[in-house]
Amino acid sequence: MRRQQSTEQGPLLILYRISADSTDPRHLHVVMSVCMMAGTPPDNFFLPVAKCSGAAMDEFSRLHILKSNNQISWLQTILRNVKTSHGDFVFNADRLIRLVIEEALNFLPTHDKTVHTPKGVPYEGKAFNKGNCGVSLVRSGEAMEKSLRECCRSIRIGKMLIRHDDDDSSKPPKVIYVRLPPDIAERNVLLMYPLMNTGGTIHQSIRELKKNDVKEERIIICTLFVTPDSVRHICSDFPKVRILTTEVNEDCALHFGERYFGTDK
Amino acid sequence: MDFSNPFGLYTGEQQFPITSPTWPVTSAEDPLSGHVTSATGHVTSSRRSRYQSHPGAVREEPEEEVVAAGTGSSEGTRTRKLSQRQLSQVLERSGDIPVLFSAKPLSKETPDRKCEKKEGKRESIQVIYTAGRPPWYDSTGHQEADAFVIGLCGGSASGKTSVAKVIVEASGVPWVVILSQDCFYKEYNEKEKELIAKNEFNFDHPDAFDFALIYKTLKKLKSGKQVKVPVYDYVTHRRKKVWNTVYGANVVIFEGILAFADKRLTDLMDLKVFVDTDSDIRLARRLKRDISDRGRDLTSVLKQYNTFVKPSFDTYIAPTMSLADIVIPQGVENDVALQLIIRHVKRELDRRGYVTRSKTAPYNDRLTELPLPDGLDILPSTSEVKVLLTIIRDKTTSRDDFIFYSQRLMRLLLEHSLTFLPVTPEKVTTFRGEEYDGVAFTGKLCAVSIVRAGEVMETAIHSVVKDISIGKILIQTCQDTGEPALHYLRLPYGIANMHVILMDATVATGAAAMMAIRILLDHEVPEESISFVCLIASKPGVQAIAYAFPKVRIIVGEMDPDIDEYYHICPGLGNFGDRFFGTS
Repeated sequence: MRRQQSTEQGPLLILYRISADSTDPRHLHVVMSVCMMAGTPPDNFFLPVAKCSGAAMDEFSRLHILKSNNQISWLQTILRNVKTSHGDFVFNADRLIRLVIEEALNFLPTHDKTVHTPKGVPYEGKAFNKGNCGVSLVRSGEAMEKSLRECCRSIRIGKMLIRHDDDDSSKPPKVIYVRLPPDIAERNVLLMYPLMNTGGTIHQSIRELKKNDVKEERIIICTLFVTPDSVRHICSDFPKVRILTTEVNEDCALHFGERYFGTDK
Repeated sequence: MDFSNPFGLYTGEQQFPITSPTWPVTSAEDPLSGHVTSATGHVTSSRRSRYQSHPGAVREEPEEEVVAAGTGSSEGTRTRKLSQRQLSQVLERSGDIPVLFSAKPLSKETPDRKCEKKEGKRESIQVIYTAGRPPWYDSTGHQEADAFVIGLCGGSASGKTSVAKVIVEASGVPWVVILSQDCFYKEYNEKEKELIAKNEFNFDHPDAFDFALIYKTLKKLKSGKQVKVPVYDYVTHRRKKVWNTVYGANVVIFEGILAFADKRLTDLMDLKVFVDTDSDIRLARRLKRDISDRGRDLTSVLKQYNTFVKPSFDTYIAPTMSLADIVIPQGVENDVALQLIIRHVKRELDRRGYVTRSKTAPYNDRLTELPLPDGLDILPSTSEVKVLLTIIRDKTTSRDDFIFYSQRLMRLLLEHSLTFLPVTPEKVTTFRGEEYDGVAFTGKLCAVSIVRAGEVMETAIHSVVKDISIGKILIQTCQDTGEPALHYLRLPYGIANMHVILMDATVATGAAAMMAIRILLDHEVPEESISFVCLIASKPGVQAIAYAFPKVRIIVGEMDPDIDEYYHICPGLGNFGDRFFGTS
């Protein structure tokens, strides 16, 4: 594992090469400081967490990468493979999404609860607090709704449509359509969008959520693939937002929405 | 054989009704579909005629295929070797054996099982045989006793098959395999085939049989392993590509005209029986069968009899009578001799029987002090897993919620179990046209569920591996002995080369899981290829499994510290199957 320090101004980013045997820069995984906070999942679920060097880092954004294993690597390979059929793409994307969503639920607050088993023996367990919701970004974010619905049968799900200007891509994307649960300010928000290339769409959606009085620390971005740039972009502007992903890679050109919904050529 | 609804026969999970006997059926690889019907299944005798339900019936399937495929072939050459089955049919039709071979329910013909049971208890016999197969291995997972092998020899048309059937049915012992020497004819060359066509080949000569293969098969079967029995094609005089799979015998009956001809075979036999039927009667049966059933003429039948059958009997078969432990004159009509044999078989089986559960339970107390086994993998206890476990353990949870949340936990558990599969590097092209160093799982994977609670994981395994093949094993606890008993088995074809995910909902003592693993090992699945997955396991159960099969990976959602005196997990979640299916 080699350590590099980014030369950027502002909060320090500590970059790790996760695969010790790989020198491919595309395998660069970024782990940013994860400070000890309530509800942090156990360490063994994640890659080694970088210790931050400054006190300012404590408040900096948190990136969580799903702990890699053979199956996750295989799923990622299938999704990246240009030859994967539509059926296989949907099936395996759903599997990976499900893993991300299940993991995201670990970020939601819980309380202790003691129940009695049918044998009458008490069991000290946990239960989720109420007050969560999902927000999906049209269109590829909607692919993740299914998995969220399978986990939480009656969860409220808001939607947003954010579009880039076709003529001028340098302009910030515009919010076209927003429909959110009325009490979203009181809820934890799972923001669903599979890819972060530039992070522009997510950036815009977080601004929209903040307009609706959602606190940054209550937003969890659920994605499959992110680029280091997009992580920097989001984290520097919204330091308290948490990002959950399966891989940080320079190459995030997966055409996810096109392939998932079968509208590619 | 009809396997269409084997589970429809079982109305309750708790106890297999002791009065409705079932028979193991050596399975066949279905010649029509090409699918494996794997090891054993059961059909009750009340549903079909005795012949169909009999283990020997397995031979009918391939033969039917011969009939279907053999139009225009020489009928005469085939009939000679169908003799064993045809014989019994002739006997049945001719009314030679009026009572024993009618298709009446068993209870009319043999002593009531319940009576036997009581008698057994009074005589303080250890094991009461129920419909299922009791354990055949000890707490270390190893074979405890070899199968009891009965050799049955006698001249052609002497009634060997009938005697075998009577022994099987009257002794009431399940898991009996009847192996016929007829399956082991050699593959003949062109020259020999010409002789066969001219009716000039001696099928009653020792050289006609493949004794090396018989020895290998019988030895393997005796040691409890799964074997493949050739299916002989009487048209081409070659073995068919697809062989029958036979597994799980407590008793093996090997019958054939030359069953005692090889010393290696007689050494394997625990009991050697010779059926000595008068040659006049045998000739009369042959004539009746070949002429009235096969349409052959008297001259050719007599010629074959005089040239081959009779000399072979005098030279090779009759002298082996001296090797027999018991000689039964008049075959199946000799009730006294048959009762003697049946009593002996029962006594032998009782002597071999033992009780694993009560043996392993105190043993477990010592095992729990050991460190946790290496093969154990507990699902990381994240807050989400904990929430799911809390819901399914709660006795106030509705069935709707129980089903939903247990299935979510199963999916997490199965995703976790797949992470242990090995992968190989694979280069793929991405959308940018670049190469990506990925990985792929290229091996074969199958799942095996333990009926009934293990089946609930099938939905979950399908949602993570969409085209997985799933085998099933039905193991039930016998309430009299507390022992697990094997009732039904069907495994995917080629399981020996697959990674197997064995699924059950809960593990208390580990007895059912151990039996299932033992079955997989008997089918030559390597121990390290087996992953056993369950939602909740007790520590003693996990230790017992790991002690017997240290290389099996055990993946559990959560491990409970103990089992109570009823062998239930504490704190546990109640009876999973009852809560899931709503049968409590």
